[in-house]
Formats: sequence, C-alpha cells, structure tokens
Amino acid sequence: MNVTNEKKRNKTFCLLSLLFCCLTLFTYGCKSAPIKQYARPNVDISKINKIAVLPFENFTPSAYAADKIRSLVIIDLLSRGTDVIEPGEIIRTMEELRVRSVHSVSVFDLKHIGETLKVDALMMGSVGAFEISKGISVQYPEVSINLRLFDVKSGNIIWSVWHTAGGADFWTRHFGAEGPTLDETSKKVIKEAIDALFIHKSS
Amino acid sequence: MNSFSKIISFFMLLMSFFILSCRGSAPIYHLREDVDMSFFKRAAVMPFDNLSNDKAAGEVVRHLVISELLASGLVDVLVPGEVMAAVNELDIKNISSLSEKQIKALGKLLKVEALIIGTVEQYGETRIGNVSAPEVTVTLMMADTGTGNIIWSITLTRGGAGFMARYFGAKAETMSETALAVVREALSTLKKY
Repeated sequence: MNVTNEKKRNKTFCLLSLLFCCLTLFTYGCKSAPIKQYARPNVDISKINKIAVLPFENFTPSAYAADKIRSLVIIDLLSRGTDVIEPGEIIRTMEELRVRSVHSVSVFDLKHIGETLKVDALMMGSVGAFEISKGISVQYPEVSINLRLFDVKSGNIIWSVWHTAGGADFWTRHFGAEGPTLDETSKKVIKEAIDALFIHKSS
Repeated sequence: MNSFSKIISFFMLLMSFFILSCRGSAPIYHLREDVDMSFFKRAAVMPFDNLSNDKAAGEVVRHLVISELLASGLVDVLVPGEVMAAVNELDIKNISSLSEKQIKALGKLLKVEALIIGTVEQYGETRIGNVSAPEVTVTLMMADTGTGNIIWSITLTRGGAGFMARYFGAKAETMSETALAVVREALSTLKKY
C-alpha cells in the first residue's frame, strides 16, 4: 500500500516539475522590455490635432526603411483621426526654408516649419533596425523605431518613445511555425508606439 | 537512491548550471559624490563615437540614450539638431575628445548644465562556440559644463545567448533589445543617485 502511495507521489511530483519547466520556458520565451516613453509635464497632448511628419532618419542598411516606416506612421495617425500634412507639402516647405537634412534641424527650423505648415506639432523619427536577423536556430524580423513629437511654439520635445519588436516567438522556435513578416512587425511596433501617445491624448 | 532523490539531484544540477551561466558582472561606473544631481536640469547628447563595424551604431545608440534619458525623467534633453549646429559654430572637429574649454563653451552656447558623451565599442553579432548572439558595449559619460569635469561615467556590455536560449530554445534577445537593456542599465546607475 505504502509503495503504491509513494509511486503516486513521485509521479505527481514529476508531472508538476515538468509543468513548472514548461511554464518557465514559456515565460522566458515571452519576456520583452516594457515600453517607456516621455511626455513633457504641463503640456496637453490631447490638444494636438494636426501633425506634420518630417522625413525619418534611416540607420539601417535597407535604403527605403525610413520612408516605409514614415508611411506606416502617417497611416496609423490618420486612422486614429489625427490630421496629417501631406508629405509632399512638407518636402516643399523644407526646401523653401533651406532645411537640407533632418539630422541637423534646429529649434529655429522646427518653429519655422511649424508656422509655415500651420500645425500643432511636428513628428520626427528614426529607424534603428529593419531587417531579417539570424537567431540561434531561426530567422526573424526585427524593427526598432524612435518617434519624437515637437511643440512648434517652443521647439521642445513634448513626447518621445523608442520601441522595438521582433524575435522568433515560441511556436516558430520550437515548432517551425510561420512567424510574422517584416511588414507585420513594422505595423506592430508602430501601433504599440502610437498607442502610447494616444494614452496621453485620451487622458 | 530512490527516484525522489534522483529528481532532486537532477534539479540541483540544473540550478547550478543556471546560476553559473547567468552570473553577470556588476557595471563599472564612476559617479562624483560631491555633485548635486538635482542641479542638472538640461543636457545635450553629443554625437557618439563609433568603434563598431556597424556604421550607424553611434546614431542608433545616441537616439536610444536621448529617448531613455527623457523617459527616465532625469533631465530635459536638447533637440539633437541644435547640438550639431553648436558643434559647427564652435568649429569642433573631434567630438570624441572634447577639452575642458570646449565643454564649457558648448554648455554656454546650448544653455545646458550637462553634456552626455558616448562611445559604442561593440554593436554586432558575436559567435561563441556554435551560437551567435548580439553583443553591445557602450561607454557613457556626463560632463558638467560649469566646470568641464566628468561627473559620471560607465562602461557596460551585454550579449551572448543566455542559458535558457542555448539549451532550451527560449527566446534570445534581438540586437535592439540588447542595446535597450544596456542603455537602461547604464542610466539606472545615474538614477540611483
């Protein structure tokens, strides 16, 4: 009788241990850094209704990464009801004001562009990663972006976020399931980053 | 030895492996004790020196530092374009080795109390055994523009595939996640003050 009970106990213990290991693996597989953002105190972001999205800086080997991400950001902002200035209009204004590169836009330039375009805020950004990276055993998409919102009156940064998405998920790593594409990862990272902005807009 | 003892022994062995593979070195940093950090309200992040093989690594990490510095609430950060304009105006050729006089001049021109200077030493995939994983090494410094002194400096590295990723196929960090973790850990030493 005692031997049977001990066998049962051991079997339960083994099952529980296995379950614990699986849970640990699953938890490790799903961990990601929380999104951290900056919103300038005493600035009411909810009053921003019209935005000009300036060309993004591209730090990736992909020549068109910045333009692709910028387009997706514009679409996302439009879909949330924010008025976005037409990109061609922004290029024309920058040329008129002789702003050659977004890399060296000064506060004076920001104010000037904002006044000319009659917008509430300017958005600038950069793309840090936009590629298919190689992991230990699988390949996965990786996208990282930085978005910054500037107040056109003061030229100050009023909101900023740096966000990344990608990596092989649990099912891709262990079962070879099809993971998200680079485009889907881009949309995810942009959605999560702009969601963070709209938390401030709705509050 | 009954089966229960065998299981316990196996788990102890597993835990030992886990502990040995996860030990990380504490960050090496310097923070001047006689400085009141609440004095530093505004900072300018200088373009970073890039010693890695990735041409854009300096700018990627610089933008990350600006964003995380703002998010941490430690200081207000100046628009990056303003910094470039000031560097050009003062005709500074070598940003990686600023003199005391140049630090003071930049502070006066940009109206900031601190300058953040950085170097990206490693930013890429490294191969250890048959596993390749991202590795990022950064050095960050904060200079007081009033005195021209370095008041905070840190060198931090992170990378390699962890125990769970190597042996159990858990999710390994991407390059961006590694960079983010390095920058957050570096800035956390400044926040402890």
